[in-house]
Amino acid sequence: MDKNVRGTSIVKGLGFNSFGIGTNACTVDVDEEQDKIIRIRPFHFDEHYTPEELNAWKIEARGKTFEPGFKTLIGSLSLSYKKRVYSKNRIPYPLKRVDWDPNGERNPQNRGKSEYVRISWDEATSLIAAEIKRIHEQYGPEAILCEVDGHGETKVVHASHGSITNLLNLCGGFTLQSRQPDSWEGWYWGAKHIWGMDPLGQNSLQNNIIKDISENGDGVLFWGCDVETTPLGWGGFMASRLCSWFTELGVKQIHISPDVNYTNAVHADKWIPVLPNTDAALQLAIAYTWIKEGTYDADYLATHAVGFDNFKYYVLGGEDGVPKTPKWAEAICGVPSYTIKAFARWWAKNAVSIAHCNGGSYIRSCFAHEPARLEVALLGMQGLGKPGANQFKMLEWTLFGIPTVTPLPPSTVIPNIGAAYRGFITGTMPSFIPKTMIPQAIMDPPVQWYGHVAAGLPREDQFTGPFTFPVEGKSRIHMVWSDSPCWETCWNGGFEMQDALRHESVEFVVIQHPWMENDCNFADIILPSNTKFETADIGTDSDSGQWNVVFYEKQAIKPRMESKSDVEGVGEIAKALEKFGGIYENLYDRFMGGKTYDEWIETGFETCGIPEGTMTFEEFKEKQYYPFPTRKDWKDIPAGLIEFHDDPEGHPLRTPTGKLEYYSTTLAENFPDDKERGPIPKWVAVSEEHHERKSTERGRIYPFLLVSNHPHFRVHAQHDDVTWLREIETCKVVGPDGYRYEPIWVNPIDAGKLGLKTGDIAKLYNERGGVLGGVIVTERIMPGALYQDHGSRVDSIVMGAGGEGLDRGGANNLIAPTACTSKNTVGEVTSGFLVNIEKVDVFDLAERYPEAFNRPYDPDCGLIATARVRQGEE
Amino acid sequence: MGKVFVFDADKCTGCRNCQLACKDEHVDNDWSPIALPQPDTGQFWLNLKEKVRGQVPKVKLSYMVHMCQHCDAAPCMEAAADMGHADAIYKRPDGLVIIDPVKAKGLESIRDACPYGAIFWNEELSVPQKCTGCAHLVDEGLLPHCVDVCPHGALRFGDEEEFAEEIAVSEELIPDSGVKPRVHYLNIPKRFLGGIVVDLEEDEVVIGAKVTIENLETGDVMATETDDFGDFWFHQIDAAQWRVYVEADGYMTRVIEASTVEEDRNVGPIEVFASLT
Repeated sequence: MDKNVRGTSIVKGLGFNSFGIGTNACTVDVDEEQDKIIRIRPFHFDEHYTPEELNAWKIEARGKTFEPGFKTLIGSLSLSYKKRVYSKNRIPYPLKRVDWDPNGERNPQNRGKSEYVRISWDEATSLIAAEIKRIHEQYGPEAILCEVDGHGETKVVHASHGSITNLLNLCGGFTLQSRQPDSWEGWYWGAKHIWGMDPLGQNSLQNNIIKDISENGDGVLFWGCDVETTPLGWGGFMASRLCSWFTELGVKQIHISPDVNYTNAVHADKWIPVLPNTDAALQLAIAYTWIKEGTYDADYLATHAVGFDNFKYYVLGGEDGVPKTPKWAEAICGVPSYTIKAFARWWAKNAVSIAHCNGGSYIRSCFAHEPARLEVALLGMQGLGKPGANQFKMLEWTLFGIPTVTPLPPSTVIPNIGAAYRGFITGTMPSFIPKTMIPQAIMDPPVQWYGHVAAGLPREDQFTGPFTFPVEGKSRIHMVWSDSPCWETCWNGGFEMQDALRHESVEFVVIQHPWMENDCNFADIILPSNTKFETADIGTDSDSGQWNVVFYEKQAIKPRMESKSDVEGVGEIAKALEKFGGIYENLYDRFMGGKTYDEWIETGFETCGIPEGTMTFEEFKEKQYYPFPTRKDWKDIPAGLIEFHDDPEGHPLRTPTGKLEYYSTTLAENFPDDKERGPIPKWVAVSEEHHERKSTERGRIYPFLLVSNHPHFRVHAQHDDVTWLREIETCKVVGPDGYRYEPIWVNPIDAGKLGLKTGDIAKLYNERGGVLGGVIVTERIMPGALYQDHGSRVDSIVMGAGGEGLDRGGANNLIAPTACTSKNTVGEVTSGFLVNIEKVDVFDLAERYPEAFNRPYDPDCGLIATARVRQGEE
Repeated sequence: MGKVFVFDADKCTGCRNCQLACKDEHVDNDWSPIALPQPDTGQFWLNLKEKVRGQVPKVKLSYMVHMCQHCDAAPCMEAAADMGHADAIYKRPDGLVIIDPVKAKGLESIRDACPYGAIFWNEELSVPQKCTGCAHLVDEGLLPHCVDVCPHGALRFGDEEEFAEEIAVSEELIPDSGVKPRVHYLNIPKRFLGGIVVDLEEDEVVIGAKVTIENLETGDVMATETDDFGDFWFHQIDAAQWRVYVEADGYMTRVIEASTVEEDRNVGPIEVFASLT
């Protein structure tokens, strides 16, 4: 072989959760001479360190052994990332909307339709600087809404999110879009009130749970949890290997969900299909069975819980005259009552844990706090914390740097490169808006809510407020600046957001992003950001379940086209603002904190937690990584909630009483009139805002409940342009017009009734509008429910709320309810809502909407960046 | 020493890392003289095929790797020889079959010689192409990219001797192909048959019922018991017509018929009726 097939090997963290919390360490082979990426492959912990130095762990149980392996278990989204770097959807250069004139007509109503023209970085940054200054003077800094959260590339010194707020913080402030705990809504707003467990609401005492289940567990419930999907963006396939390990041990795996997700399909011992967002009824019927048959742990509850009698009274029907029998539940949730009883009895006589991966209808629908609380109520009734009986997560094993959320043997240190992070560190601001309320806050202020809503706050924060936007005496929103332009396809009721971004009060929208997608099409100015392959950085991976590691991320290739990193781009705006003097004086230096990028990387190295004297910065750059060994005492760490189980007084929960609160006193005190999230967890059918049940009048018009999970082939809105994923038969459905539509799964029974067949293009719709998709008739979804992943790129045919909106891309968040989880919580409702489906003729639609259907399009990549750039001016 | 691939369908979870790593390795990368670049889309030198099996609520997915089998009696090599281009496709000493991208230029019909459909025609470069076993990596002592990224060890590669045990129990993708493939398959999915036994009068599942299935063609019989959920499963059975007998204490025996000829079968709830006491 006359060429170096390996190339130069460097390290990149290809996880996509952003916020500087790195994951998915990969080795990337680069051809430096040709300035190209050759391949992406697993990272090897043992390249420079021996198993002894890593203190390699293993779990031994039932005569079998589980070992983590010395290379990372990366997945499809990391492996195919080269296509994201070289995507035809990369924004090539700064763009300006043709009919936006800062000195004349701004035409906000044309956002989303207008074309763009190429401009220089100088022109773009001058225009942006001038607008910031004008807004500051005319309205004050709170008139600038910063959208700087959400997922994205995980970078540190070149952080993909938040450098905008770093800049504006240095010259007066801004209004923050405050990100709610999306993906774990129900646990956050609900479960916390029964078992404390800050800040997530999911179990925060997960240490050694895998070892415990391996030794003592009989079964694991996967309540909508997709181990083969959700961890791919931030963790890889260790969780999948754990499922195989459970199978090897004979630990029964039961999946409870409307769909056969990718884990259910290959690992499950049993599937219990349940209609979307009806889990609470199923859970109550399980409790009923245990109470009636005396098969719950009454002694445990006497010492570990308060308010169980109130709960029992409700379950037996004392409160509302409706006993929550298996037959009662069957009519709601679709699970035969004989199966509910068999399930309850199996659970009662075995040591059962519950596994989660966030997301799905179970936890992101209306009233999601109820199933989340009921789940803990059931665990409590069977002696939560006893050997083999806990709740644990299959991802985010060091979330927020918490050492007790990993169920696998922990490393000595969770490296923290916060000191080098050049994005925004999560916090609260005087002027802020929950992300779920942005459209209303823009179009119809004032809006009001409870809690600061930043995802990592303790339970008590839910009782703060009410907060109002605009803050008294301060401005409403007149400018939007975003580095995370996926609101439409990721949040609740995206058609409303399309109206908000076109609202006359919004004078200027600037968006920076590597790819021309989603909200980008509403910008007045677009800046081309680049990917992490195009800059040098520092990164970590603490979520592999193997060993925590910190690595130097060498620059792989030169920046593509005219792109700059998000931080570099904002730095250019700082330079442009400096010219105005005053509050903007010396802004670039202040923004950069007096350091170069390489010096920031060095700061990260020095403060990340590598023991002093271990290695110099130069050695670090040369070896490219440092792994933290497994804790020597890992086997001695108490498993899960065993200490609470054994000694509830000595190891209380973080609830006000320190016990499981089947009756939450603080909910009763703070929200005495709340019928949706009362003191006792309940079945809530409908509310003033939500009528998302099949049994309602709406349910007759829109008879299907939509399951919209975290996507298998994307991380939320990311990766929709990856050609190697899109060509997979189940990733997109090729329509008769050659367009690749987002799949809709339809059960054969429903398909037969509706005359739908695989390959048909259909419209999912309700009174909020419609989205198209490609039908796949499949047994992977139960009758009465439909399935379409969320996060597909928006490709508008008709924009806006009011019912006429139509989207070709299949971005079903556009038709999700606008209203939040419940009256006093501001979670998103983006799965488990009512829709109808009907076949469409795409050629008819193409005739009616020639503009949308004739837009330049590449079936392999989908939407392409230059489609909206005015011809001849690119 | 001969190299082989071993694929275990039982271990595969369908992550498609292998399929994507193949793209990553060969699209936009020129590994001449082993292979020219693979087109970006439409060709799968390694294709992971998915099959949905069963009916609600007994539904499974199974996955199979489809790729060049690096046959020891390769039909493509014969076809090339027949066309007078015996040197267009060659077998390396390690068993890997390579299409020479220079000598095979223009030979489109080679594509049709492969019984596995594993050869693709690259229109742009005018050359037939397929899996090379990542020979360019193997020559450097490295694993094929597809094998390196498999998280479950479902797809493995190595010396024939090393895998002797697996090979002894392996199957061929196309049974009795006669082409001596060097890709060996374990646990190729057959059919399953499952159901649930219920007493609707009592509104209960029936646990511990004896379920026997009889192959109506061969007369072969298999038996199992219903579990805590009233469920029963028969895995890895033939595609056949079956008679299903359900017997349980206190119940009259039920007999139904079920077919796995076309597909896997969930017979659904089998209602049993209490016998007179």
